[in-house]
Amino acid sequence: MDPPIINEASFSAANPSSYSLAEIWPFPINGELSRGGGGLGLRMCNFAAFAEANSNRDVSVDESTVTEQSGGGRKRRDANSEEDESSKLVSTSSAKDLKNSNGKRMKISGSRDENGGSKSEVEANSGPENKPAEQSTKPSEPPKQDYIHVRARRGQATDSHSLAERARREKISERMKVLQDLVPGCNKVIGKALVLDEIINYIQSLQHQVEFLSMKLEAVNSRMNSPIEGFPSKDLLDLIQNTLLASEKSRFTRLESPIFTNSHTLIVNPKFTNKLGAATCDSTGMLFGSQATREYMQGSQPEWLHMQVGSGYDRET
Amino acid sequence: MTPQPLLMKPNSIKTRFAYGFLRALNSLNKNKPSSPSSPKVIFRRCRMIKLAADASMASAVGSRRAWSRAVLCKIRCQRALAMRGRIRSGGFRRRSGAGKGFGVGQTDGLRKLVPGGGAMDLCCLLDETAHYIKCLTTQVQVMRNIVDICST
Repeated sequence: MDPPIINEASFSAANPSSYSLAEIWPFPINGELSRGGGGLGLRMCNFAAFAEANSNRDVSVDESTVTEQSGGGRKRRDANSEEDESSKLVSTSSAKDLKNSNGKRMKISGSRDENGGSKSEVEANSGPENKPAEQSTKPSEPPKQDYIHVRARRGQATDSHSLAERARREKISERMKVLQDLVPGCNKVIGKALVLDEIINYIQSLQHQVEFLSMKLEAVNSRMNSPIEGFPSKDLLDLIQNTLLASEKSRFTRLESPIFTNSHTLIVNPKFTNKLGAATCDSTGMLFGSQATREYMQGSQPEWLHMQVGSGYDRET
Repeated sequence: MTPQPLLMKPNSIKTRFAYGFLRALNSLNKNKPSSPSSPKVIFRRCRMIKLAADASMASAVGSRRAWSRAVLCKIRCQRALAMRGRIRSGGFRRRSGAGKGFGVGQTDGLRKLVPGGGAMDLCCLLDETAHYIKCLTTQVQVMRNIVDICST
């Protein structure tokens, strides 16, 4: 961003050249100063860019922009009122008024003095020339004021770090709520650490279920001599469809519990099984409930498989 | 076995996962038609099936999500390393101080569980965890249905 080399004298003297400069001005501005840029573009009849800059800004913007915004909103209102007065009075006295407003702005925030300078340039331009533009500036003002009001309402610390931390905490708690809705039985748990524990247990149990299911698939495949093999793509699609459409009724039909079930269920995930109760018991019990797996385990190497499963879960839990 | 195309969404993650996983199972069965004899072979086949499930889940999700990217990258690395015959365990770097305010043990556990979670901040980690849980549920459901269909 180039420093404000143009002062008021050169400004009122060479109006058309500075006008073109200020027309170019809003475009290279982005990031934190996009607000000032938007304001500039607004006064220079560039409403579209302003609306874009407004609508693109959402809650997840970086915090520094938020502070800039809240500061900028105030400043902007001041600038508007002053501008109205000055444009009502006389257009030739803009040099003095501008000096005042510039000083005020520098008092408000020293780091934005170059922006204040550029604003004053634009005021000098838009005061005498673009009155209709000012009039149409007003209606687009209120939504932003609402937004800023929401952000700066609380009487807490408003420096960028605490604002950033607050926004981060809000985001985190919102995602924790989403996660709590996803994990069954997690709504009653109070406290973030316990909720995280539940989530971890749930993910672990799901991963273990995948592992069990892959074991079971392996057993089924080897026993049935690869049932999926040789399907053409049409049959494969049918199979997929049936897979997706397979209803819940087949899920609870095989609940006659074999001998293994209890021990394995305990090995799988004792905490989660105890907490969630019947659902997980059913699902893990079903894994070893099928005829195929039982036959397979009793037929070939039951001790090995038992040992494998047990050691795996001892290691992982 | 009457096809009901209305009930099947062709572009959902579930359908894509089922399709990819069944194809992977098919190729696995073609590759190893011999009867399993030793526990080592069985164990390796279990691992391959699980890898196939993970890979097809991740590829069904695509590279939009960090965890699926991590899974795909890990599988690719494992394949490359297995071709070279080396085994090396690589870990992700973890950004320090990202989990303040929470129990450090819990977030670390979550980071270990969610693939690629080592290098995320907490917001992204929770976001990815939510999506990962959804996908894991889908995976379990589809695999269970396949087992049911194949075993009956």
